[in-house]
Amino acid sequence: MTDQITRRTFLRRAAASGSILTVPGLLAACGGTSTSSGGSTSSHKLAKTLHFSNWTLYIDKSGNKHPSLDQFQQKYGVHVDYREDINDNASFFSKIQPDLARGQSTGRDIIVMTDNSRYPSLLVQKGWVEKLDKSAIPNIKNLIPQQRHPSWDPHRDYSLPWQSGFTGIGWNEKLTDPVTTMGDLLGNPKLKGKVGLLTEFSDTIALVMAYNGDDPSNITDATFNKAISTIEKAVHSGQIRQFYGNDYSGALANGDLVATMAWSGDIIQLQADNPHLKWNLPDTGGDIWTDNMLIPKGGDAYTASVYMNWVYTPRIAAEIEDYVNYVCPVLGAKAALLKQDPQIAKNPLIFPTQEMLNNVHTIDPKALNNEKYQTTWQNLISA
Amino acid sequence: MGLGFLHRHRGSTPYLLLAPGMLWLAVFFLVPLGFLFYQSLQSGSIDFGYAFTWAWGNYWDSIKGYRGQFERSFEYAGLATLIALVVSYPVAYWIAFRGGRWKNLLLLFIVAPFFVTYLIRTLAWETILADHGLVVRLLTDIHILAPGGRLLATGTAVVAGITYNFLPFMALPLYVSLEQIDPTLIEAAEDLYASKWRAFLRVTLPLSMPGVVAGTLLTFIPAAGDFINAQLLGSPTNHMIGNVINSKFNELIDYPAAAAMSFILMAIILAMVLVYARAVGTEKLTG
Amino acid sequence: MTSVAVELGRPRRSVLARTWAFVRRHVLTVYSLLFFAYLLLPIAVVVAFSFNHPKGRFNYTWQGFTFSNWTHWNAIPGIQSALELSLEIALIASLLATALGTLIALALVRYGFRGRGTTNLIVFLPLSTPEIVLGASLLTLFLNLSTPLGFSTILIAHVMFCISFAVVTVKARLIGFDRHLEEAAMDLGANEWTTFVRVTLPLIAPAILAALLLCFAISIDDFVVTYFNAGSEVTFPIFVWGAARNATPPQINVIGTAIFAIAATMMLLNVFLQNRRAKRA
Repeated sequence: MTDQITRRTFLRRAAASGSILTVPGLLAACGGTSTSSGGSTSSHKLAKTLHFSNWTLYIDKSGNKHPSLDQFQQKYGVHVDYREDINDNASFFSKIQPDLARGQSTGRDIIVMTDNSRYPSLLVQKGWVEKLDKSAIPNIKNLIPQQRHPSWDPHRDYSLPWQSGFTGIGWNEKLTDPVTTMGDLLGNPKLKGKVGLLTEFSDTIALVMAYNGDDPSNITDATFNKAISTIEKAVHSGQIRQFYGNDYSGALANGDLVATMAWSGDIIQLQADNPHLKWNLPDTGGDIWTDNMLIPKGGDAYTASVYMNWVYTPRIAAEIEDYVNYVCPVLGAKAALLKQDPQIAKNPLIFPTQEMLNNVHTIDPKALNNEKYQTTWQNLISA
Repeated sequence: MGLGFLHRHRGSTPYLLLAPGMLWLAVFFLVPLGFLFYQSLQSGSIDFGYAFTWAWGNYWDSIKGYRGQFERSFEYAGLATLIALVVSYPVAYWIAFRGGRWKNLLLLFIVAPFFVTYLIRTLAWETILADHGLVVRLLTDIHILAPGGRLLATGTAVVAGITYNFLPFMALPLYVSLEQIDPTLIEAAEDLYASKWRAFLRVTLPLSMPGVVAGTLLTFIPAAGDFINAQLLGSPTNHMIGNVINSKFNELIDYPAAAAMSFILMAIILAMVLVYARAVGTEKLTG
Repeated sequence: MTSVAVELGRPRRSVLARTWAFVRRHVLTVYSLLFFAYLLLPIAVVVAFSFNHPKGRFNYTWQGFTFSNWTHWNAIPGIQSALELSLEIALIASLLATALGTLIALALVRYGFRGRGTTNLIVFLPLSTPEIVLGASLLTLFLNLSTPLGFSTILIAHVMFCISFAVVTVKARLIGFDRHLEEAAMDLGANEWTTFVRVTLPLIAPAILAALLLCFAISIDDFVVTYFNAGSEVTFPIFVWGAARNATPPQINVIGTAIFAIAATMMLLNVFLQNRRAKRA
């Protein structure tokens, strides 16, 4: 069983370091405190059950159970119906969209969607999410400063980060020399046919644009087309084996892929499958994305908010982080972890340094909603 | 006497018997097709809603934009059907003519793959055809594959997957029609100096044509709309129209375009089926 | 057996010809056996890997033998509810579809009525429509009618595509049915209803059972149509699809093997019974 013990063992071997400095990309970091807007019209009564939909392997796990959820239930008497039914943003959104469009409840209180897809901003825009009951979330003060004012939810009225992650390059050191540049990934003939790119628009476009020397946070037609043609060239030359969603990890672990665009936390988890997997940000910069907790319309805002407050308790965040190994958005978790598991507390992939944060980009949110770009992209990855 | 049965109960009984089932089919099969057509003439997006605008452009755009996928779908399905036919005919023949008491048991072997969930079987092929697996290594050793070559994420794997998954659909109808052939006919042919091979060509093969037709249709049609094999065993350059339709419905939420594409696919297939039906006679097809 | 050629004009077969005939005879057998091996290969892989003990998320390379996947088959969150949902839907859908389909089959075979050809065609059409079109069109219907997607929409879809299978199965038996038994019963004074219940129904019962089993098998395995119309419900095939993109726990193989074993056993029993019946006949 891949328990925390094995996880820690492989963490010791994890070579996540080595990111190189470049000119700052940015995380939204406007100053100012977030005013706690008065809670929504939610009643202050806890529901019996909290329905929480999340991605797979994204919460602490011990055997069959999730300790942080069990502790939540013990403290508040709320049973958490935890479902790992989100595989990617688009198909999950299409599942709940009919209910939302009809004004019906989706049967969920908390969902988790990535901000480098169009869906969080779309949900807020269309009014398909409930406001957080901030009076129930005093721990919101523990949110790391860089995450306090995202452009699509400037006052964090509707969302709170669950985890963040980096997109970089993962490679199999047994099958190849380190692959640390996009140039290598897209053009090195030794890797031909064994390279993967991600189906996620933001990830691939951001990294390729950065490689082309363009700024992914400000996309123009010209820079977009340039990125597309760079990718097309690699596809047509046979360099790219396939575009992958989460399933790149299986191919990388078993050797079908030698190098691929990959998510930071994934690699740590995958090293249990294959200890020869390594990860790094590309020299021209990777990107950072954040998975956000949102309350779909019809969900119980108060109970969900109480849960979010729970997650933002440093001790609990530390527990979750110990297993999930993505980038933690909660201040104080690092300190809490230092006592339990110093290896993880010191891992820059989980508590990144400022230098790393400066070497990652975020995607231009306008591009996410641009139908032309999206269709071109879809045609590219499924042509 | 049989006819008396038939005529005595003209009137409402057959219609009463038919009503519940046919109503279900009408409401949940025919009507949806109508809605699909209606949807295909709409335009709009998830952000701003859809409106009916006689958007025939959707059809033209689908053909223009996804011609490659359409062609590939029929190419892969056609190849898979052909291979399935060639590969399973001898086995169907063997069971029908040499099976004896074991016929039913042998048929079970043919149907057995069916009992494992479609997706799980296809995932098993991912394991079998993995780059570092036995099959690829063997093929590289005997130089069928270039060194460093792969089977997965190629059209070959997709066709192989489709063929495998639809083999029972081909083998069973072949078997049924072969089994019904009266062996005395073949004996008669041989008595008239035909060699075994000629007897096969002139007697068995033509008599098995209904099975060939049925098997071909039952294999080709679902195969043309498949997207699972292409998704799991192929790469984006091998995607079929099914993948595009799936993506447009379940990811991009571009319902009008997806509906138009589904309709084009179905129209093409229906045209082929009708041509077949004409040639063979509807009763032979539907029994 | 005399070796003197009896048929005129047929030359006595030489040793070579006889050897060749031997080889030819067995080539077909060998080929067929290879064919079966090929058919069963993935199944063997599925079964084998249900005992695999992967250290990580994926079940693609062999890493060690264990029984724990079988003892903890529901260790993966969501897998048990997905399986239960699939079984529930399959049970209800197969019962409904077989009932409706049997009625249609009876009407088609026993009666001549106007529109018989069209009915035949309409029943046959779902079988000749790609699943993706079936699923997509149903989804369009539900979206336009603002029906919430979930259990009932899945059930409706499954009954829809199973009816055709049920009709075909029962029809095949009905066509070969010996009417004289019914006529004899009528001659002995039974009215139509009694004849139907006491003579017809028991005789077509095997076909109805076969239709039931076929519908059950098809329903439990269905992915495409279900995927389009399930909303956020998760049946077992949908669960496998999601798993294939993230992590393929061996428990999937366990359940796949279990379903296979049960189905195969039932079919073997059926074959065995059929052979017994044939021997007695």
